[in-house]
Amino acid sequence: MPSLRRAKPAAAQSTDAGPDTPPLLTPAELAAQRRKRRTGTLIATPGALYLLIFFVVPLGLITVYSFATRTSTGRTSLSGWNLNSYERIADDVILGIIARSAWLAFLTTVLCLVVAYPFAYYLATRPPRLRARLLVLVMIPFWTNGLVRIFAIRFLLGSNGPASALSEAMGFGTFRILFTPTAVVLGMVYGFLTFMVLPLYVALERMDWRLVEAARDLYASGAKAFWRVTVPLTRSGIVAGCVLVFVPSFGSYVVPEILGGAKTLLIGSYVARQFQAARNWPLGAALSVLVIVAMLVAVAINQRNSANAERTQGVTR
Amino acid sequence: MSSAPSPDAGSSVPAVEMHGISKRFGDVVAVDGVDLQIGDGEFFALLGPSGCGKTTTLRMIAGLDIPSEGRLAIFGEEVASWPPDRRPVNTVFQAYALFPHMTVAQNIAFGLQMRGIRGPDADRQVAEATALVQLEGMEHRRPSQLSGGQQQRVALARALVNHPKVLLLDEPLGALDLKLRQEMQVELKALQREVGITFVFVTHDQEEALAMSDRVGVMSEGRLLQVGTPAEVYEHPANRFVADFIGRTNLLEGVTEGPAAVRLDAGAVVAAANELAVGSPAALSVRPEQVRLHRRSEAPAGAPCLDGVITDATYLGHAFVYTVAIGPTAGASGTHAGERAATITARSETGSAALAAGEPVSVSWSPEATTVVAD
Repeated sequence: MPSLRRAKPAAAQSTDAGPDTPPLLTPAELAAQRRKRRTGTLIATPGALYLLIFFVVPLGLITVYSFATRTSTGRTSLSGWNLNSYERIADDVILGIIARSAWLAFLTTVLCLVVAYPFAYYLATRPPRLRARLLVLVMIPFWTNGLVRIFAIRFLLGSNGPASALSEAMGFGTFRILFTPTAVVLGMVYGFLTFMVLPLYVALERMDWRLVEAARDLYASGAKAFWRVTVPLTRSGIVAGCVLVFVPSFGSYVVPEILGGAKTLLIGSYVARQFQAARNWPLGAALSVLVIVAMLVAVAINQRNSANAERTQGVTR
Repeated sequence: MSSAPSPDAGSSVPAVEMHGISKRFGDVVAVDGVDLQIGDGEFFALLGPSGCGKTTTLRMIAGLDIPSEGRLAIFGEEVASWPPDRRPVNTVFQAYALFPHMTVAQNIAFGLQMRGIRGPDADRQVAEATALVQLEGMEHRRPSQLSGGQQQRVALARALVNHPKVLLLDEPLGALDLKLRQEMQVELKALQREVGITFVFVTHDQEEALAMSDRVGVMSEGRLLQVGTPAEVYEHPANRFVADFIGRTNLLEGVTEGPAAVRLDAGAVVAAANELAVGSPAALSVRPEQVRLHRRSEAPAGAPCLDGVITDATYLGHAFVYTVAIGPTAGASGTHAGERAATITARSETGSAALAAGEPVSVSWSPEATTVVAD
């Protein structure tokens, strides 16, 4: 339908030009439009079917389960719909887990931003050919198995691992950070850094550096020009990167399972436990719905942000 | 090339003073040993084709590029190594470089804020600058909501609000359409008189440079070839490049025959004052509007006269432009071996009788109207 809708205002305009203008579209034009629409539908069908079966349906199932009842044997009874699972989220233990997950996700996001911004800045200000090569280097970890990488970190951070040995050799003594929240944050920063680097790189690469020169010409020091011009103009990349890191960090499962200890139970692991050991599918489903809603809010923020960026672009180029 | 003294240069410290300024980017020499003095209150144009180093020269005054060599002073203060935010100059950038995330008022207030001027004092100055460029009522718009001409005014106000000692303008009118550009030329000139600030204006448009500036500096391949008033540069170009670049001209190749004569390759020896060694290759520059055309039979006696044939006549409304072939191929009498053909462009008011292509004519000019130029 969108192509038809777009055609209408244009036609309306042409009728404005003169009251006697003949009707909107000729039969040939209409036929062409129909053909175009049919082609569009045809090429979108496989993807749409896939998403419907493997994404929309499970999501619907999860939502349904979140309103179901857990029987005393741990089976889920699809009757007696209620909000009990959602009420249980208000439990102090679960709220604690959610708060801890949010806090660690927040720390991860901030650390990623602090590490990635200078790096993306460096990337974006290199000559184009070098840029392409450096980008490949950024992508390489992406092509490696995530689980393997996290186990490598576990070895690295372990009390018998190289990091600890180095610390001891330098006279700081061994350290124990494996199975602590610190290890989880480090692992997540490592795992999600690329999600921060890429949007920042895109924003910085599009940056019009003449604006920084203009700021410098108008008495701004290098630092002031950065905060007043570069940062606001790359805001879309900053927000996108933060959303892309925060969302998976918040629901992260693999990293805290491998690097976190018993005391760093996060929501991802807790949900998994509900579906497995605890056999409480409705609670696990309700928590999943909560995470999804939080993610949707974040995505909505990101959408609004990029729409804003669009508006301030197309500027004085 | 020594710069001609400006009206103010003798009486006070020059606004901008350059000695042996060069700028290299890797192997490329962008600016090559420029010596230049720009007087206080002067409207100075740096003119040249793209890539001649004029923008780099401007950027060095602004502090956006640091000279590889040479001394640069602004009102007597040696600034060559200063960062841009310490220099008492502001720039109107090519394509304006307005901050897209700020309103018009915020753009204009930026320089004041950076110098710690805030509150009512800043508001008053922003209002003054906005009024100066006639943008009242636009204060809360974003640059993207303005026309090209309005954006240009914001860029001007954003620079002028800081009362710079020198205002640098990098092709500020380049992005405007012809009519608006001509209006802005007049306005900019008036504005400069009003604020009394030294303007250094970079342009590749020689008409713009001649129309607006007190003095013009012509650049090519990193070198400053000539500095002078528009009339000096137009009437007495220092070399072949300047003669060719400023306005239209006929360059007739030849060899000097003494301090007062040149033997043209197209035949004939014509009177032309020059300071070149006898026998040096040179070209005689004659502006089309200085060339007089006569029917062959009516050629005046005494004046340098070349015979030729009209090969093309173009009607421009207010004038005719004729192309005249002279020399051996034109069948002129008394040609010698080794003489080469040349063409001359002549321009005459429409009022005079039109001549047609193929007509045999004589061309002449007064010796004072010509300049002998070497490479």
